[in-house]
Amino acid sequence: MAFLSFVIPGAGQFYLKERGRGGSILAAALVQFGLISWSLNLKVAQWTVGRLTTSWLWIVVGLFWIWNVYDAYNITQGKSGSGLIGIFLTAFVIYVIAWQVTDIRLDRLVTRFGNALKILNDIIHPDLFARDASGHWIPSENFGYIFGTIQSQPVPDILVRLKLVSAGTLIPGYQAGKIVETIALGLMATLFSTILAVPISFLAARNITARIPGGVVIYYVMRTFLNIVRAIDTLIWGLIVILWVGLGSFAAVIALTIHSIAALGKLFSEEVEHIDAGPIEAVTATGANLFQTIRYAVIPQIVPPFLGYTLLRWDINVRSATIVGMVAGGGIGFFIIESLRLSAYTQYAAALWAIAVVVIIVDYISAKWRESIEAGVVQTSAAKPRPFYTSLRAWFFIVIGVAAFIYCWNLSGIDLKALFEPAPTFWQLIRSFVSFNLDPEVTSAVIAQMMITIFQALLATTLGGLVAIPFSFLAAHNLMGRSRFSLVIYYLIRTLFNIVRSIEAILYVAIFFYWVSFGPFAGMLALSLTTFGLIGKLFSESIENIDSGLLEAITATGATRFQAIVYGVLPQIVPPFVSYSIYQWDINIRMATIVGFAGGGGIGSLLYNNYFPFGEYRSAGTAVALIVIVVAIMDFASSKLREKLI
Amino acid sequence: MLRVEHLTKIYPNGTTALRDVSFEVNDGEFLAVIGLSGSGKSTLLRCINRLIEPTSGRIIWNDLDVTAAPASELRNIRRQIGMIFQQFNLVKRSSVLTNVLAGRLGYNNPSQSLLNYFSPADQKLALENLEQLGLADKAHVRADSLSGGQQQRVGIARALMQDPKLVLADEPVASLDPVLAHSILKYLEQMNKERKITVLCSLHFLDLVHRYATRAIALKEGQLVFQGLPKEIDDAQFKAIYGQEAERVTII
Ligand SMILES: Nc1ncnc2c1ncn2[C@@H]1O[C@H](COP(=O)(O)OP(=O)(O)OP(=O)(O)O)[C@@H](O)[C@H]1O
Ligand SMILES: [Mg+2]
Repeated sequence: MAFLSFVIPGAGQFYLKERGRGGSILAAALVQFGLISWSLNLKVAQWTVGRLTTSWLWIVVGLFWIWNVYDAYNITQGKSGSGLIGIFLTAFVIYVIAWQVTDIRLDRLVTRFGNALKILNDIIHPDLFARDASGHWIPSENFGYIFGTIQSQPVPDILVRLKLVSAGTLIPGYQAGKIVETIALGLMATLFSTILAVPISFLAARNITARIPGGVVIYYVMRTFLNIVRAIDTLIWGLIVILWVGLGSFAAVIALTIHSIAALGKLFSEEVEHIDAGPIEAVTATGANLFQTIRYAVIPQIVPPFLGYTLLRWDINVRSATIVGMVAGGGIGFFIIESLRLSAYTQYAAALWAIAVVVIIVDYISAKWRESIEAGVVQTSAAKPRPFYTSLRAWFFIVIGVAAFIYCWNLSGIDLKALFEPAPTFWQLIRSFVSFNLDPEVTSAVIAQMMITIFQALLATTLGGLVAIPFSFLAAHNLMGRSRFSLVIYYLIRTLFNIVRSIEAILYVAIFFYWVSFGPFAGMLALSLTTFGLIGKLFSESIENIDSGLLEAITATGATRFQAIVYGVLPQIVPPFVSYSIYQWDINIRMATIVGFAGGGGIGSLLYNNYFPFGEYRSAGTAVALIVIVVAIMDFASSKLREKLI
Repeated sequence: MLRVEHLTKIYPNGTTALRDVSFEVNDGEFLAVIGLSGSGKSTLLRCINRLIEPTSGRIIWNDLDVTAAPASELRNIRRQIGMIFQQFNLVKRSSVLTNVLAGRLGYNNPSQSLLNYFSPADQKLALENLEQLGLADKAHVRADSLSGGQQQRVGIARALMQDPKLVLADEPVASLDPVLAHSILKYLEQMNKERKITVLCSLHFLDLVHRYATRAIALKEGQLVFQGLPKEIDDAQFKAIYGQEAERVTII
């Protein structure tokens, strides 16, 4: 048996009925082999013996081989060793290659530390306030760009026509700032995508399509379509949309809407698939017609979850709206790009702070609102609820809602005519996009950059996750005592997590390219920072959710707090931590596809710097297709893996 | 009067759930349908109002051929046949009153009901029915905040809104504890006696059949194996219906 494993790794284990183990060993060996051969001509892990240049990683592969034979031998002896050594060796190969491919230069962190201090200083001194002539602190000019200004403007035409005021009168009016525009973009995109996702989701739901002729085909077409559109990031959509309607807020709204339709369409259709057939049967049995059945048995079941997802999407759309402007124009993203172009880091810092405030508020509102929908209105009194049109409050909200809609519509520069007059290049783009460029130099460049993207995500998840672990313990209510000091620490770290995760990784790239210069290393660090905030929150929440009984029991034996954590907490948190890390890696791959737009390397830089500006749409199509494939595989694999873990 | 003639149902996957079943139900009867799990009780009840399309055979109700009725006539027939389900089948997030009013949909103008409009007469009727079932104070709470027994009573109120001449009850008490089972069946009995509504009810426990039904039919593997008075089900009949190993069990 050991011999079998010597010929083909894992074969012996497989033969000995350890199917899973054998398969994993073979897969690991193939991954190592593939990665090393691929990285050879990238001068990774080079090793020159005499005239032969090869990779020293082959030694590790050799060790893995030996371990695998030994493992097979162990199994024949009825012992089963742990797989840790094999996992460690495989991980070692992957991390060494990832490290070199993403061009990690730890020395720069130190040698260019001065730059880090400089940018840190700018960040804590954002350009928001300035002293006026008499030495008072007032909002700076930059503050006005971001949050808006009060300016004199002509009175609305209608008042003049009504002869209420004379023409040419100036009144104080509010000139919206970039962050307000960003909020408007997020709102409009959420509204449009919800409306469009509803019909699409019905066509992507198995239980609905089963009832119509040709439904199976429609189902698979819709599902594939949704998966492809969802895999392409909003910013990549932005690159495409600007050729359609031109640079500006409207392009930003469209890009956000397209991605959001696909994300919502998937969630909605899953909800439709899970509706309870019982009420439908019951209402049909009363003699109701199809529309009545939908109204009384289907809609009440789907409206609350749809609303919940829409609110969640609103939160995500506001976050995306902060960056979509970097390529599509409009919103604070565009402002940030302009500031960076002028190396105006204090203005950039001001924008980051503004984003953090807005995103945290939106996050909070959306979460609270979702909670109340989840709980539902459980009325227990016998009193009949008043119909909404008699409630003043309802009318107040309706009026506010309509006004907000009109305001946001104008602010986001929506111009439906533009949809029907795309630039001629747009058709060229569509045509070239689907006729992929498969020249060897293009495919090898695309694959190399995609590997960098995947590795960036892997390293960022590892780094961000490792740093987040100690912090997450300090941000867990149940582990921290009740003393004032630990409460202060708890709130400080929670706030840190919330601020850090409210800003998209791509916005952090500027900080790191200032520190370590452009490239995948900067992108990786930016991803790590966001990862730290996102995963830190998830980790600390999963610590808070552990079963406290065990902790109590261990503390009761007289153990110290540290011992209690090691024996009572660790065994319970490892599975959720691993599961969240896999989830985060999946998210990070998506984010890593775009960090290159801001100088963070990877496949995004190929698209943004090499293909789109020069109209090489066929090559761009190849890159996007690979992104779709990788994201789809990761999405599938990560959800399967996590199902197994929990 | 309901006449079922040579009813056969073969599911698309090839399962024959009903095999040439024929029987009659006179107006005002309380007919129990018994049989092992999988014998075809649910299929039979759902064929009667065509929630499931029969494969062959006919169902004649008050001289109307249900099996041949076009869509609009079928809705007309359905609204006169109430249905009660084992899992209650209420819209959980809607209020109790809305669930009850849904029983009226077959009578109402579709475009009005889409706007959630129900006439004052309907509203009054709904509240009266809830009152009768002891749920007057629950009209405006969410359906899923009620207990199982209460939910089933809402289901009965919904059926009553249809002003039905026939009620099909598919194991209405199988998800309830024995005490509640009796209370629900008493409501059905009351409907049957006071409103002269014919009841077709599938039941699992024989003593419930003895206590409430005026007549019983039994299915075994989709075939009708017994037809008669409940007290005629002796030990031999019992074994024929439920198999040789079966033991009689009693619930309070
Ligand atoms: N939709 C369906 N497709 C295929 N076969 C079905 C379907 N519904 C029911 N059957 C089969 O038809 C047979 C009769 O089922 P039915 O539900 O009518 O039995 P039942 O007497 O109501 O059982 P129970 O007491 O468990 O509710 C069973 O063998 C069942 O597996
Ligand atoms: Mg059944």
